[in-house]
Amino acid sequence: MVIVAFRRAIKDIRDNKFLNVVSMITIALSVFIVSAFSFFFNNATNFLDAWQQGVRIIAYLADEVPEEDVPKSDVPEPDQSETAGPEMDRAGIREKILALEGVATVVFVSKADAYRDLQQKIGKQSSLLDGLDKNPLPDAFEITLDASFRNLDHIARLAGVIAQQPHVEEVEYAQKWLHRFSGIYNLFKITGLVLAGIFFIATFLIIANTIRLIMYSRREEIEIIRIIGADAEFIKYPLFIAGMAQGFFGSICGIGLLYAAFVLTIPGIPRDTVFALFEIRFISGMFAITMVLCSMLIGWVACVFSIRKFLKF
Amino acid sequence: MISMPEEKFIIRLFNVSKQYGKKEALKDLSLNIAENEFVFVTGPSGAGKSTMIKLLYRGETASSGDIIVDGLNLARISRKQIPALRRRLGVIFQDFKLIPTRTVYHNVSLVLEVAGRKPGEIRPLVMEALEYVGIDDRADELPPVLSGGEKQRVAVARAMVGAPRIVLADEPTGSLDPDSAARIFSLLEAVHRSGATVIVATHDQEMIRRHAVRVIRLENGRLVMPAQQDERLW
Ligand SMILES: Nc1ncnc2c1ncn2[C@@H]1O[C@H](COP(=O)(O)OP(=O)(O)OP(=O)(O)O)[C@@H](O)[C@H]1O
Ligand SMILES: [Mg+2]
Repeated sequence: MVIVAFRRAIKDIRDNKFLNVVSMITIALSVFIVSAFSFFFNNATNFLDAWQQGVRIIAYLADEVPEEDVPKSDVPEPDQSETAGPEMDRAGIREKILALEGVATVVFVSKADAYRDLQQKIGKQSSLLDGLDKNPLPDAFEITLDASFRNLDHIARLAGVIAQQPHVEEVEYAQKWLHRFSGIYNLFKITGLVLAGIFFIATFLIIANTIRLIMYSRREEIEIIRIIGADAEFIKYPLFIAGMAQGFFGSICGIGLLYAAFVLTIPGIPRDTVFALFEIRFISGMFAITMVLCSMLIGWVACVFSIRKFLKF
Repeated sequence: MISMPEEKFIIRLFNVSKQYGKKEALKDLSLNIAENEFVFVTGPSGAGKSTMIKLLYRGETASSGDIIVDGLNLARISRKQIPALRRRLGVIFQDFKLIPTRTVYHNVSLVLEVAGRKPGEIRPLVMEALEYVGIDDRADELPPVLSGGEKQRVAVARAMVGAPRIVLADEPTGSLDPDSAARIFSLLEAVHRSGATVIVATHDQEMIRRHAVRVIRLENGRLVMPAQQDERLW
């Protein structure tokens, strides 16, 4: 019975090759688009997480604060010599920031340290800095956050609070860039969900339509085999198999297409950019299997739908 | 009106009427057909012959009355039981009703596949039936290339391959030349001899005259001859 149904399904697909191929291509494209969105979404999430893990807020101090007013941090710092002078004021700011909810550590970075850092980073081109007669960099506190506060909302809120502290002139955490990124991220999320919805509907309609056309091309045969005693199952099973096969092969092709695109483009991305922060990963096996199963389920439901309309048993 | 014991009747019609909208195709038809009987159903065009055949394989349902076929009351069975009824029947049509996209072999084997027979036992049965009607050498061809007479022989093979207890034929020779028609009739007689009940709706008076069997004559949807009247007087 099952073998017969499979044989008949294969004949159905062969006899309607064009129809089935078009149907599978459309399903493949739908699966490709949804999987691509899932791919971007997951990697954007990973990227955001990676970034948030390493996030620090830099609080630049006002120029008029004398160097001596700034306290050294608890962490051993190279600027041990700068401990002289009135410390209450600097310590006061530092303690205030450290007392804020979510703040883990506060490290002082003097303008001299910042300058050395910059020199090191620029390396050979350090002669560029020779023209400067005065260190243009401000003193700063480098603030790290408790793990539970490492997300955009908290970072933004804390940054706002820190900016209110005395002598703090400017707060930086790559915020504009990040906000734009999170805007794209949310857009992706919504677009992905909408596209997934469209994908479900499109796949359903495509398979339902293909099954309907198979039945139409088989209507004479169906009428005849009913007269010779075929039951509903005998007629339905091959159509179910055909519908599920379309979902199966279509989704496999879609995922294969994405994988091909992945393999061809990802190694070309330079690893020393932001992408060094995290590993770009392909969609999970779980997601791929879910896509395939969903496509098959849709194929099955679409069959039930079109058969109900056309075959009255 | 019939004195045979009831259990010997394989088909029974009780006050059967069939309406198509306002058109009454069959009116209050009652008759019995015994097991292994060979019966002609005849009458002018529009008399209701095809309608009667359709009612017997439940291609149509009666508007009123009861039809019992091989112990099944067709008014009572559910849609799901129709396939089981049809597997007990072989049906032959004037237009053959072969599937044009399937080979001769497959057209016949479908009957057994549909009945859920094991793949291993299908081939010998199909080849036997095709040999019987003399078309086994064309097994792998598609019906459209066959002549009318050949197509109808395939249809006969299909009707008999499942060894049904009843074979219904609606104008089986209606579109055949006399030689082919005679061959089909002799095949139907052979099916009858093998134990099946055969019911043939036909216009073909020549055939009826030649075969000394019972004739059911319909006119305007009514039975006009007593069921067991001697057909040779007609
Ligand atoms: N599906 C239908 N819808 C409406 N009327 C129908 C239908 N089928 C048959 N009829 C009518 O019922 C009557 C009997 O038709 P039927 O086909 O049984 O006649 P018949 O004896 O087989 O005729 P013929 O010898 O021409 O085949 C006819 O008047 C026909 O027009
Ligand atoms: Mg007719």
